[in-house]
Amino acid sequence: MKRKDLILHLIGEISNFLLESDPRRLVISLHQEENGLHLCILDENTHTKEELSRIEQKLNSRKRPELAGYYGSMTGHDMLGASRLNLLGWQVKHCDVSSIGSGIKIDIWLGGDAFQNDQFTIPEKGDE
Amino acid sequence: MKENVIVNQSKTLLFLLVFIMFSFIVTGIAVDGASTAFKGFLELQFRPARLISDYISERGIGASLINAAAVGITALILISIAKVQLSGATFAAIFTMMGFALFGKTPVNILPIIFGVYLAGKLVGKTFSEYLIIALFGTALGPIVSLITVEMGLTGLSAVAVGTGVGIATGFMLPAIAVSVLHFHQGYSLYNIGLTCGFFALFAASFLRAGGYVFEGLMLWNTSNSAVLIFLVPVLSVILIVTGIFSAGKNSWKDLLAIQKHTGRLPSDFMDLESMGGSLINAGLLGLAGSAYILIIGGDFNGPTIGGLLTIMGFGAFGTHLRNSWPVVVGVIAASLIFGKSLTSPGVLLAAIFCTTLAPIAGAFGVIAGFIAGFIHLVLVHQTGSWQGGMNLYNNGFAGGLTATLIVSVIAWYRSRKSVFK
Repeated sequence: MKRKDLILHLIGEISNFLLESDPRRLVISLHQEENGLHLCILDENTHTKEELSRIEQKLNSRKRPELAGYYGSMTGHDMLGASRLNLLGWQVKHCDVSSIGSGIKIDIWLGGDAFQNDQFTIPEKGDE
Repeated sequence: MKENVIVNQSKTLLFLLVFIMFSFIVTGIAVDGASTAFKGFLELQFRPARLISDYISERGIGASLINAAAVGITALILISIAKVQLSGATFAAIFTMMGFALFGKTPVNILPIIFGVYLAGKLVGKTFSEYLIIALFGTALGPIVSLITVEMGLTGLSAVAVGTGVGIATGFMLPAIAVSVLHFHQGYSLYNIGLTCGFFALFAASFLRAGGYVFEGLMLWNTSNSAVLIFLVPVLSVILIVTGIFSAGKNSWKDLLAIQKHTGRLPSDFMDLESMGGSLINAGLLGLAGSAYILIIGGDFNGPTIGGLLTIMGFGAFGTHLRNSWPVVVGVIAASLIFGKSLTSPGVLLAAIFCTTLAPIAGAFGVIAGFIAGFIHLVLVHQTGSWQGGMNLYNNGFAGGLTATLIVSVIAWYRSRKSVFK
């Protein structure tokens, strides 16, 4: 799969999730490096703490190569029905979910085997 | 889910699966004697495997159960080689493979397919673990290997070589098709590899027919119900339920109820989404419900029907539950009554079990959609078997995938009726 396709599908799935709650504003930011990328999505809808926790849990689910390699192809592609963050969670390197003002900020880092953390702004543990 | 919980879950599942496979071997030997059972098992490796070849009718209960255990062990070894933890998807794959080893799969006819999938992964830089699920379920096309090897008049080493080569080529094609057809129904048919293999088998059968080969119908269907066959699935179901209760403890009922609320759309790994215990109880209940249905209508307990029950039990951890299944089954029953088909005839009986591939449609779009899906499924499944020459063991998966594609297309189109902006 070309990187452009992958990015389109990632944005499609995560946007599908956030657009379900019909926000008036949605911002998508992308930062690319040779071995990885950082996707940041913000909306202005109110989300409960439980909701943030659920989103973070799904996006940081354990890696499932046997499911990601096959069913992962549905990410951002098959839009009939609810969005499925676990499809993303199986594929990402790291994910942060935080509340900003009245909205939500989702940071997703994705990359290959040569992914280098220091090229991106992944927060260290206890850095928040 | 925490890493140590996953490892413990995987260990419990491994112990459970090995126990089941060992029980199959012991039961097989106890029923037919070691000599007859193992001799029959070896003979099954080079017998026709197309639909419907009930191995119990061919070589007896003992040989069939040992064959099922051997196929299950093969799957376990492959999962171990791929370094994948046992979970809902692999649990479903192992149960399905063991079930279909009662009527079509053997270690000999599945290995070339698996190797072909492995080679396809190599070509596009994927690890075997990424294509593991396709490799395991893709063994539905094992009958192609058997067809070339034992049904087409080839003999000796050339038969084995050509059969193996065709099997490898078949497996090589599967990942490309599997990923593409997944988008047809968007995950609303659980047996996606059934659609994949049916799609491929359509072409394979057409080429064989173009070359002058005539597919002769096979109908080996054991009708002599024995106590072993009747009680095999219920006993297995109780074992799963007891293991589930011990595993989930006081949460078992809560987890089981939570599972019933999922749509079941692919990929729904109930072991990850809820718990292993709840999933095992769900699988056991599906096995009991399926067995009760066959008993009530007076159907046969044989290789294909027990294979079907094992499959729905496996998918009890990966998309199927009682709440999303019953509307589809009722749809199949209604269609068979309206069209004057006997509920105990092989095609209808198997459709009533395997139609649960469409359970996510009921789970996501409601009882009526599920009922309609089941109704259409029964009509279609009676045609698809001959289209593909019986070479795709997941014929219901093929028909179910086509049915789901039709329904999903209509729903997606209907939802587009409203203007986007006021």
